[in-house]
Amino acid sequence: MKSAWSGFKAIVIKDLVIELRARQVLPTMIVLGMLIVFILRLVVEPSSGRAEMPMMAAAALWIAFLFSGLLAQERSFGVEQQNGCIDGLWSAPLDAGTIYLAKLLANVVILSIFEMVIVPAVLLSFSLRVTGRWLDLVIVLALGNLGISSVGTLFSAVVQLARTRGALLSIVVLVVLLPMLIPASFALLVLFGAMPEEVGGSGTLAFVGSFRAAQGYLLAFDAVFIVACWLLFGVVVKE
Amino acid sequence: MRRWFMALAIVMLMLSTWLGLTKGQIVPVQRNILYVHVPNSIGALLCFAVLLVASVAYLITDRQIYDWIAAAAAEVGTVLASILNATGMIFSRAEWNVWWTPSPRLVSSALLWFLYVVYLILRTSLPGSPRRRARICAVFGIIAFLDVPMVYISARFIPDIHRPDFSFESSWQSLALMLGMVGTIVLAGVLIWLRTDLLRRRFELENRLHD
Amino acid sequence: MITETVRSTDVALSIRSVSKAFTARPVLRDVSMTLRRGRATCLYGINGAGKSTLLRIAAGLLRPDAGSVSIEGRDVREHPEEAKRRLGLISHASMAYAELTVLENLRFTADLYCVSNRAVRIEQLLAETGLGPFRYDCAGILSRGLLQRLAIARALLHEPSVLLADEPFTGLDVQALEHLIGIFETFVRQGGTIFMTTHDTRLGLRCCDRVVVLDQGVVLLDKTKKEIDPERFAEDYLSYARSQN
Repeated sequence: MKSAWSGFKAIVIKDLVIELRARQVLPTMIVLGMLIVFILRLVVEPSSGRAEMPMMAAAALWIAFLFSGLLAQERSFGVEQQNGCIDGLWSAPLDAGTIYLAKLLANVVILSIFEMVIVPAVLLSFSLRVTGRWLDLVIVLALGNLGISSVGTLFSAVVQLARTRGALLSIVVLVVLLPMLIPASFALLVLFGAMPEEVGGSGTLAFVGSFRAAQGYLLAFDAVFIVACWLLFGVVVKE
Repeated sequence: MRRWFMALAIVMLMLSTWLGLTKGQIVPVQRNILYVHVPNSIGALLCFAVLLVASVAYLITDRQIYDWIAAAAAEVGTVLASILNATGMIFSRAEWNVWWTPSPRLVSSALLWFLYVVYLILRTSLPGSPRRRARICAVFGIIAFLDVPMVYISARFIPDIHRPDFSFESSWQSLALMLGMVGTIVLAGVLIWLRTDLLRRRFELENRLHD
Repeated sequence: MITETVRSTDVALSIRSVSKAFTARPVLRDVSMTLRRGRATCLYGINGAGKSTLLRIAAGLLRPDAGSVSIEGRDVREHPEEAKRRLGLISHASMAYAELTVLENLRFTADLYCVSNRAVRIEQLLAETGLGPFRYDCAGILSRGLLQRLAIARALLHEPSVLLADEPFTGLDVQALEHLIGIFETFVRQGGTIFMTTHDTRLGLRCCDRVVVLDQGVVLLDKTKKEIDPERFAEDYLSYARSQN
């Protein structure tokens, strides 16, 4: 256990130090994110009413997260490409699952740094206010972050292993994350004040429209996929 | 052996169609497309289940045959999912006047289709050894399958104003639907079987050419 | 063939009936060998003979289609963590992160292997490899020779008992070569086992006391240095290698 923790910590710190020092991916992520927000802000009709703004803002935020997230994920195993460093990881007495969790944490941290830049950008360009619900916003974004990173880290290793193009990574990650986006957007819309918190569900579906249920769903989604990816990681990198 | 099953499937499907159009016709005529839509929905989901089981089996046993079954299931599933989406859109247009709307059923169908297509793209574009490709596709198959229940649940968050409230009342209708479902399932099974065989023979041929 | 009987406690690296095929053509066919502790073995073969593949399987980086590899009795696939802890790997890539300094690279490796007396070991190895003056330099600016020294330091940090080296002499100048050979000799003298692959017959014969020749995935020759005539071997191997092209 001690050795697993030692290796885990080492990989997380190493990834973050390299990223902060070399700035391989964060600047591009931020610029891409800002461009996406800008483009979406522009394509919203200039004369649109206040109703459309929160919707476009939620869209802009998640799209920026997804696509910049892809860049971050490509990095997670792309950084091991040079100098055969990946062999250094695989030949170490470290369980594959531990390596996955370490890479996951590094990705989550990097995406969080991105988040701290992009969220104010979105709020500003779409003239939104999130009064008093900052904690909820942080939670929703963190849950989204975890979901995006969990799937992305796994398939980044696949892409690196198969020496294939990043385009494959994009379609795989995006399709798997699709279900998460529905409650995620709903949650954001509630936070941006565009939707009431509890919309009565019709018929059998009691939790349609519940904000807490949306958060619960995101939590469940993250739990399922982190565990699944963690377990399958060892399988996928077995050569 | 397979020919009998194939014939059986075709007979069932034809019977289902005939029944659906005559004795069991549903009143607003466009709803009869449900006789195609619902069986394909079951079929596409079952193909995915086959894909999952084959993927897991491949990862556990490392035997090629399961990889071929998974690939065959993906191909057949894609066809079924395409029909599912097409009929869903036709129904949506006829019933609610929009070609597509994010209603839970349509969203789930669309995601299923996308999952299948991405699986096929992975299969064809991954470079490297077939074994590695098989392993990666198997892992994706498992992760993708987890998505299916996830989307059924998450689609509940979409306020679904259109609640389809028809039911198959008369026994003729139920019979037609049942025939359609069983026929589609049998047909899908036969096609998967055929396709697996084809993949296996191609592999053996390639190996023989090599030696 | 190795005629002396080998006690199981003496066996450092055991390769049993390893086979591997990437596509239809097999790269390794039923390869077996046993390496005793305190010996250095050199694996020769032309490109494509399967040397690197065998080494990677021994290091646990590749999975064989058949057969197994054990490091001091621990199977690499069944007890990977125990086996890999006893292994040091030197490949022709340095496995060093360009953005990290020499010191940081070594600290990272020490943590990966959970080396207990980390600071002490790092200082020892910096001294042994002569990297002391470069400790705060980023690995990205080091020369090839220095990078190789870093790779060696990396490999020896956790005090492995078996050292696997894949073409360690490539691209090194005379000084670096002598240095590397010195380190290998010290390692063997202290009871370690070396398994290396190389093209260079002369250097290989200098370091090692056993030679194995691999050809198209099959062991062609497996003899100790005493059993062969080094000069003739070098010549024969050269003409064999030329005839294969």
